[in-house]
Amino acid sequence: MAVADFIISLLTFIAIYSLFGIGLNLKFGFTGLIDFGHVAYFMIGAYVTVVLTMPAGAAGYSGIGGFALPELFGVLGPIGSLFGWLLGVLGGMIAAALVSLAVGVPTLRLREDYLAITALGIATILTTVVNDEEWLFNGPFGINTVHAPLRDVFPLSLGSFTLNMAVFGILSLAAFGLTGYWLARAFRRQGRRGKLVLGVLVPLVAVWYFVLPTLSDGMVELTRNTLWLFDPTAGPKGGMDYDRFVLLLSVAALGGGYWLVERTINSPYGRVLRAIREDEDVPRALGKETFQYKLQALMLGSALAGAAGALWAINIGFIAPDQFAATITFYAFTAVIVGGTANNKGVILGTAFFWGIRNGTRFIDVPSQYSIQLAASRLMLIGVVLILILYYRPEGLLGEQDYDIPLPSRDSSGGTDDV
Amino acid sequence: MSEQNTPTPTPGVTPTDSPKIGDDGDPILRIEGITKQFGGITALDGVDLTVDPGITGLIGPNGAGKTTLFNCLTGFHKPDDGRVHLYETDITGKEPPAIAQQGMVRTFQIPRELADMTVFENLLLAPMNQHGERLRGAWIRGDQFVEEEQVIRDRAREIAVFFEIDHLLDEPAGSLSGGQRKLLEIARALLTDPDIVLLDEPLAGVNPTLEQKILGRIEALVEDGYSFLLIEHDIDLIMDNCERVVVMHQGAVLTTGAPEAVQSDERVIEAYLGGDDV
Repeated sequence: MAVADFIISLLTFIAIYSLFGIGLNLKFGFTGLIDFGHVAYFMIGAYVTVVLTMPAGAAGYSGIGGFALPELFGVLGPIGSLFGWLLGVLGGMIAAALVSLAVGVPTLRLREDYLAITALGIATILTTVVNDEEWLFNGPFGINTVHAPLRDVFPLSLGSFTLNMAVFGILSLAAFGLTGYWLARAFRRQGRRGKLVLGVLVPLVAVWYFVLPTLSDGMVELTRNTLWLFDPTAGPKGGMDYDRFVLLLSVAALGGGYWLVERTINSPYGRVLRAIREDEDVPRALGKETFQYKLQALMLGSALAGAAGALWAINIGFIAPDQFAATITFYAFTAVIVGGTANNKGVILGTAFFWGIRNGTRFIDVPSQYSIQLAASRLMLIGVVLILILYYRPEGLLGEQDYDIPLPSRDSSGGTDDV
Repeated sequence: MSEQNTPTPTPGVTPTDSPKIGDDGDPILRIEGITKQFGGITALDGVDLTVDPGITGLIGPNGAGKTTLFNCLTGFHKPDDGRVHLYETDITGKEPPAIAQQGMVRTFQIPRELADMTVFENLLLAPMNQHGERLRGAWIRGDQFVEEEQVIRDRAREIAVFFEIDHLLDEPAGSLSGGQRKLLEIARALLTDPDIVLLDEPLAGVNPTLEQKILGRIEALVEDGYSFLLIEHDIDLIMDNCERVVVMHQGAVLTTGAPEAVQSDERVIEAYLGGDDV
């Protein structure tokens, strides 16, 4: 497998779990709700989306549905089919939000530690129900007829090999350019220590991605890693394969979720959420119906987890209850805390760190008798890093983010309106 | 209760378009037979009290039930018995947000600043019924959103200047000194554009200079039409600054009246001012 393919699968993972983590961050980071049952909404989003989008009477499936929404709208062509899938995702998100509403009404009146325990219990119950009730979603056998949106369009080919290579190549380079620009900006804003970290990490990754594979496999490998969107083996003329599409889809979803949460917290609404996190009695004394806010934050965060679940289902192509163990929630908590609680960029960084270590070390060649130790030491390494961060930098790598409600500047008063 | 739905709410410092007290002399608060028990302890034992516009001092020895009364009035505790009327509205047993919306806000005995938010954000939080406080308003931002946020920022700056904490606006509220936190609490309460503010020991642990400053502010605000009910232990301060004084003892109102009358009341001297020593 080319390095580019591995990176694409890793980045897809990171994008999906970042979206999941951003949902958690809205609950935990900004509103202070410790939801140890976050994974339940990931599961509900995945299951409901899959059931809404897969065809009825699939072989080996004895649960409710499927409702074949993409097929229904598929008469309008691929765009209609995509629309049908998006409707399915929306259904998954709404289902996740509604279940969280049902969970939230009784539990959000509890103090935070009780909320955490109760949420964990309810999530476990939900997973167990999905596992045990075969009539519902096929029980432990899971669903392997996941509808993959626009699957037949891929590998996407624009005509000749040269054209494919040129177009996808340019897009790949543009992505590198954007990343470089973004890194340069981030670099400038960092303090001395941040510059040191970036200054070491970025060249290391660059050498690992561009130079090392070239040394062993030559120019072909370099080309494949550079023009990463273009897959020469995808069909006779090359093109863009489905994995790359899923990555783009996941990144787009992450971008949408990120924007929505940023929009939500950088507002008077977000001020109330953070006030609830700090001391709920204060906004209550100031006339804010905090219960409504907590409920809405819970539902919105759960809906984002549901969207992540829908993407997860496509990415894996198969869902079963055991994929949605409580540990997934705690992985996300780890990522949020490592990257920076109440910092959406931090969540992405933390998720990248977590899954980078967890999956990125799979390709380290060790003698087979040590492979079990390596697997165990991954989680140990993450644990050690978590302890170090909690001890030396409890606010996480990036710390809490800054908030700003941008307003058009007024001519009359010269002062800035930064919050 | 002033109209809260207008996009340009009344500035907190100089209320102009909202008459704080409609009719001269009508009591703001009518408290009838409020009782509150915690386990076997009767914290409030049938408190009867009317609070008139202006500044009213509430004194009493430790454990007299002053803070419990505040909690019962503002909805943080549910009274076991009795009724509370804010003007004509029965607010007994309502939740704190609903009572605050009705025009009665409180500060806390130990200042509860939102430590990780800036002083400015602490203030911006306070104005009620902001358009952008609803999800839809936060997502879809029209001219109203911008206009309102600008008005609120102006008001917050204005009141910060009034309380002389304007140089601290961008600091995290957790970094303020004890006295500054008290000022922030009062400023925040005022930004809700209330009719009456319940101040729980706003002067405790405050140095004399700042104390005079806070009192001066409160008096200026009373001129503007705000009313205050004030818990305080410093008798001299209460006597010098309040128009009326309420004395509580063992969960009930011992007496109420003008400072001079209260000061010479035998029972007050017995219960609070030090018995035979005075």
